[in-house]
Amino acid sequence: MKEQLTELLTKGRAALLAADSLEGLQEARVGLLGKKGSMTAVMKGMGRLSAEERPIIGSLANTVKVELEDLFEGRSKAIREQELQQRLSSERIDVTLPGRTAARGSKHPITLVTEEITEIFSSLGFGVEEGPEVEQDFYNFESLNMPKDHPARDMQDTFYVSDEVVLRTHTSPVQIRAMLKQAPPVRVIAPGTVYRRDSDLTHTPMFHQIEGFLVDRDITFGDLKGILTTFITQFFGKGIGVRFRPSFFPFTEPSAEVDIQCVICGGSGCRVCKKSGWLEILGSGMIDPEVFKSVNYDYQKYSGFAFGMGIERIAMLKYGVNDLRLFFENDVRFLRQF
Amino acid sequence: MIVSYNWLKEFVDFDLPPEELSHRLTMAGLEVDAMEYLGAGLDTVIVARLESVERHPDADRLTLCQVATGSDTLLVVCGATNHKVGDLVALAQVGSLLPGDFKIKKGKIRGQVSLGMLCSEKELGLAEEADGIMILPPGLPLGQPVFEALGLKDVRFELGLTPNRPDCLSIVGVAREVAAIVGRPLQVAHQAPIEDGAPSSESTSVSLEERGLCPRYAVRLIRGVIIGPSPEWLVRRLEAVGMRSVNNVVDVTNLMLMELGHPLHAFDFNRLRDQRIVVRRANDGASFTTLDGQQRVLCADDLVICDGLGPVALAGIMGGENSEVGPETTDILLESAYFNPATIRRTSKRLGMHTEASHRFERGADVDMVPIALDKAASLIVDVAGGTLAQGMIDCYPESLPERQLTLDVGRANKVLGLKLASDDILSLLRSIALEAQPAEDRNDGILYVKIPAFRPDLEREIDLIEEVARLHGYDQIPVTMPVSRMICHRPAPQQRLVRQLRDAMVAGGFSEVINYSFIAPQWDRLNLAQDDCRRQNVRILNPLTEDQSVMRTSLVPSMLESIARNRAYRSLDLRLFELRPVFQPQDGEELPRESLRLCAAICGRREPLGWAQGAEEVDFFDLKGQLEGLLSGFLLGAVHWDSSQSETFYHPGKSCILRHSSGLLGSIGEVHPQVLEHFEIDQPVYLLDLDLNALFGATVTGRNFQAISRFPDVCRDSALLVDDTVSAEQVFAVIDQVRGRFVEDYTLFDVYRGSGIADGKKSLAIRVRYRSSDKTLTEEEITIGHERIIKALKKQLGAEIR
Repeated sequence: MKEQLTELLTKGRAALLAADSLEGLQEARVGLLGKKGSMTAVMKGMGRLSAEERPIIGSLANTVKVELEDLFEGRSKAIREQELQQRLSSERIDVTLPGRTAARGSKHPITLVTEEITEIFSSLGFGVEEGPEVEQDFYNFESLNMPKDHPARDMQDTFYVSDEVVLRTHTSPVQIRAMLKQAPPVRVIAPGTVYRRDSDLTHTPMFHQIEGFLVDRDITFGDLKGILTTFITQFFGKGIGVRFRPSFFPFTEPSAEVDIQCVICGGSGCRVCKKSGWLEILGSGMIDPEVFKSVNYDYQKYSGFAFGMGIERIAMLKYGVNDLRLFFENDVRFLRQF
Repeated sequence: MIVSYNWLKEFVDFDLPPEELSHRLTMAGLEVDAMEYLGAGLDTVIVARLESVERHPDADRLTLCQVATGSDTLLVVCGATNHKVGDLVALAQVGSLLPGDFKIKKGKIRGQVSLGMLCSEKELGLAEEADGIMILPPGLPLGQPVFEALGLKDVRFELGLTPNRPDCLSIVGVAREVAAIVGRPLQVAHQAPIEDGAPSSESTSVSLEERGLCPRYAVRLIRGVIIGPSPEWLVRRLEAVGMRSVNNVVDVTNLMLMELGHPLHAFDFNRLRDQRIVVRRANDGASFTTLDGQQRVLCADDLVICDGLGPVALAGIMGGENSEVGPETTDILLESAYFNPATIRRTSKRLGMHTEASHRFERGADVDMVPIALDKAASLIVDVAGGTLAQGMIDCYPESLPERQLTLDVGRANKVLGLKLASDDILSLLRSIALEAQPAEDRNDGILYVKIPAFRPDLEREIDLIEEVARLHGYDQIPVTMPVSRMICHRPAPQQRLVRQLRDAMVAGGFSEVINYSFIAPQWDRLNLAQDDCRRQNVRILNPLTEDQSVMRTSLVPSMLESIARNRAYRSLDLRLFELRPVFQPQDGEELPRESLRLCAAICGRREPLGWAQGAEEVDFFDLKGQLEGLLSGFLLGAVHWDSSQSETFYHPGKSCILRHSSGLLGSIGEVHPQVLEHFEIDQPVYLLDLDLNALFGATVTGRNFQAISRFPDVCRDSALLVDDTVSAEQVFAVIDQVRGRFVEDYTLFDVYRGSGIADGKKSLAIRVRYRSSDKTLTEEEITIGHERIIKALKKQLGAEIR
């Protein structure tokens, strides 16, 4: 029997090694170790062995069986690996083909810039207020220290709905409405749509502004510089030059125009900054006592500052848009870039 | 306002280079918008003397000129005829670049070498027209650049002045600021004029009937002038600030306007009827021709200067044709006045007349300048136009304007500005711009008294002085600080959050946001709107730029369709657009319209972008409806009824509906009516939705309630139902909802089929019902009972058959 087992092992090895597919291998295994296989046939002779021989032959049979099983497992694994390698090397896709896509949406650049500016001021503790676009003369002008016949009204060409109703020319009326609603401290920004009767290469009759103001005790012009400088460095990046220069707005005093170093030429002078190296981006100032009077704030007790900026201008600088009118033509070739 | 560097130097001694001056003026609040260097780059145009002038051998009209440049003698061919030997001329040497990019090259003209060009004033940019070459005044040094020799090298600054600074609408005013900047005195001299004539009171009189509208009115009389061209210096001076010469008398008034900022007017004295002046209101409806030839209809609010019979000038704005100074004028009545700013502004606004004079008077002229400007102008007129000045000025100033004195609390100034200036610092700042500032008797109380000169009408309150302190100290010297302010909660209002959520959802759905003008054309027929539709009631703009922008929109739909049409015109055919903006609906009895936010979205073209692995289908109603359902699910509204029994006129009646919710109408959705598409010249189906966001936000439920999830297996049952084509999906869902037991987790309509195998007028609906219990595994029997109940109800209520 010993010889039979040795022969079985030799043949078995050869059969398993010869198989080159999983099916062939399986067939060989069944032929060797299955119920009707060679091993079973050999083992039928066990009954005829002596008690001394039986454990020896049993152990040998087991060794043969284990070896063949191991060989089978090894071969099986090798063949599977080989087949896998074969499959992997034959399967190919062109990964440079474009993927399946859905249409890509986009927010309007004016919305994006408004959201970004709002986010910066929110982080500084400013709330957001809104007001009507068709506005009373009182809120748009009178309460902001611009009585009728005031030359400052020339600074803003106005669309009229009636003698007393205008399309707001700035977001400043929201200042008045907000201050009438609440006592100091107030910190508010007011983004919105405004209208001026002006249409050419650099003006559209409708555009957008963000107004902001802060009123509390002991607020100084230095604080105005602090908040606006913080905003500018947050929005345009650290290291950008900022300057405050005297200007005039009827509703602030002292008033300041805020310039940033030209983002196009870096301050050396170009077409965009009219060779000055500076770009005007903000109007600001300490809120005028007359304005406090119209909202019943005590000028002796409180002080505050206000500022306003044109969103289109900031969006043009941020994205390098060179034609204002693109914002309102709504060409998707423009819109989808944002 | 244009100022000249050289001219400023006559009033203040400074040596700032032009760029530095420009920067300092800007930082002092006088913003320099532009700078222009006169004569820049023309240093190679030099003074030369004609040594000989001979006929060109081969050209009758040309001359050969030998010119001496001081170091050399050159031969130049010249086409002019007004020159002779000994004249000093302007020689543009070879290599010069004249205005208009005209380069001077060494050249041969008809066989003769020419080493430069003799220039005319036009070629040097000194005049618009020129007759022959420029003959320079004798005595100029040969070889010197012409602009330098003539004193024409100058820098022009264009200032963008704010309306509060009328004092800077003059050279002297700007010089005052320069003096403050450099810390040197302003040099102005007032000389009494020589009066050789008879007393003016013997020849004329002024009757001031409107003291309120015209607090001061003064005249001087000059007889025997000869109107003619102005002398060279005067022409050049005006040119330096961008003004053109008219004649000697008008030029003097313009010179004073520019130098002192005070508008003057010269009447032809002999054309004044009765030879006297009356200052009064105009008669209502009177007509008057101003010297620009325009006939003006006046009203009683207008102030006019009259002679014995009627108006001869519109006060402070423009003179009249009937008293204009002309070539025959010999006697001049020169006016200098101070008018009430609001009056001048009202009239100039109403008549649409904006002049150099009105610009200054409406911002506030300097009442103390009235006699000074008049004296100086009278002297100059006698100098340049001859004549004799009558004795005495007629100066009607019945009531002096009140002197203004302000107090300034030093502590307050420092508190507002965030500075720590001493009283003395502030005193010297204020004094530098000619304000008379004094400390109070007891110097320690930090109060300053400041007398305000008449040329600063803008300084009316303490805060105005604080601004001057800040400006003169320098905004850049104020330290940057962060405010210390009490905390307050500024959480965004729910609506602001929802708007942002909506925008984000639209963008995620592939939509691009558009922004259209709020004003549109009132062409509501384009939307087929009913005649009584409230959206035809519009807020009208009284002064629109165009009829296409004349009403505030009550709907976003027209602009959306225009955006679609415009994009399609540029061959962008696959579109998904949205707009989220307010509309403006007039309200009865309210001054302001109701502004309510709406969302309008539209789609057309392919569903997916063109691609090798993408579907090629066009979008349909259900693409947009799906987007809308997605939006609504973000707002937890509860049931929304898609009501097709009613719709908007701009939709296809069979492919549209309105959205109802228990709280009211939310909006509408549908395929745009083919006729409406035609109105907008769109030749492809467009699907559109229009939502009232206030209604949507009002119906929004905040706060979600967690539903426990089951850990037991589900079982799905599919059934295909044959129903009449008229049965709506909503009806099927209603039946299922009515009889669904507690084991129905959800159900889905997953197929709709008409056509082969299905009888006409019928359709097949396939539904899948998912059964699951939260506390056990369902038995086959339980599921069958549940499903049978649904099928039975569908059969009974909708006549459904099972396929």
